Amino acid sequence: MLTISVTNIVCIIINLLIIYFLTKKFLFGRVDAILAQRREEVESATKQAEAAKQEALDAKKDYEDKIAHVDEEKEQILADIKKQGYAEYERIVGDARKKGDQIIVEAKHNAEVENERAKEVYAAQLTDMVIDAASKIAATKHSAADDKELYDKFINEAGANNE
Amino acid sequence: MKDVLNELLMEDKTFLRIPFGDGTIDIFKSVVITWGVTVFLLILMLFLTRDFRVHNISKRQAAVESFVIWIRNMTGDMLGEEAIKYADYMATVLIFITFSNMVGLFGFTPATMDLNVTIALAVMSIILVEAAGFRKKGVKNWFKGFAQPMAVIAPMNVLEIVIKPLSLCMRLFGNVLGATVIMELIKCVLPFILPALFSVYFDIFDGAIQAYVFVFLTSLYIKEAVE
Repeated sequence: MLTISVTNIVCIIINLLIIYFLTKKFLFGRVDAILAQRREEVESATKQAEAAKQEALDAKKDYEDKIAHVDEEKEQILADIKKQGYAEYERIVGDARKKGDQIIVEAKHNAEVENERAKEVYAAQLTDMVIDAASKIAATKHSAADDKELYDKFINEAGANNE
Repeated sequence: MKDVLNELLMEDKTFLRIPFGDGTIDIFKSVVITWGVTVFLLILMLFLTRDFRVHNISKRQAAVESFVIWIRNMTGDMLGEEAIKYADYMATVLIFITFSNMVGLFGFTPATMDLNVTIALAVMSIILVEAAGFRKKGVKNWFKGFAQPMAVIAPMNVLEIVIKPLSLCMRLFGNVLGATVIMELIKCVLPFILPALFSVYFDIFDGAIQAYVFVFLTSLYIKEAVE
């Protein structure tokens, strides 16, 4: 019971060391390998997720930039269109004004021409009247008083026609 | 009753008698039982840890993983952060002593009931404790450590090198011996039902407790040594 044998103690110690190495290799070793593998996987998954997140953020930023740009572009286009509209308006109004001026000029010209024609007509009438008067005078014997009366009459007639 | 005790305490422990030189080398039964425990543990570990996977783990694997993490945390907590690297050894000792104590369930004499086994365990423990202190502090500080906290108690500290393992080995030996003796006595009183009930306490619970105490105290010594 109480015999102590160094040989046996050494045997037990060797045995204990063998058990330790077996446990280390087959129990802790294997479990550790799995745990390490799992940790690695989790880390890589985390890294991937991080990368994907970054990518998504980048894309988002990109789109936001684009959207901001779109607003700018829209304003630019609107401004351009407004400008164009104004130019068109100016042009149309300018044209209209020009046309109006032209019409006025034409109308004046026409009026002048008409005036000329009226004058010519009047002159012809006057000529006719003068010829008529002259032939009347020539056909009749007349005194100075008659002449004077005739002239007055003629002048009055002409004046009335002229007015 | 006396016969029972005599049979238990005075029985010839020799299992093998190997001729060696002029005399013989006796291999004790307890040594053979630890071999048996070793083989059993090896087969158990190989069975439990076969085809481990990273994903879709089986219940067996989950159980083994949580067991390993649990036992490591336990011994690691006892050892403290400084000596965490000895956690695997302490876990191994815990498993070994627990199984050695439990062979009583299968009708064998517990290996730890032989003083040689507990002496071997205690020697390993004290070697580990002193080695841990040595590695941590270096030669000079390790020798200085004997004069801590004051020079007067240096002899006490030197004595502790012997006292610590002695108390460890005697505690384990005495507890397992006591438990086995009581079990034998209970078997004398009533050979059925009662031994089964008490076996649950003495072989399983007490065996585990004693293993835990041994590991706990060794861890405490190591923790002290590396502080």
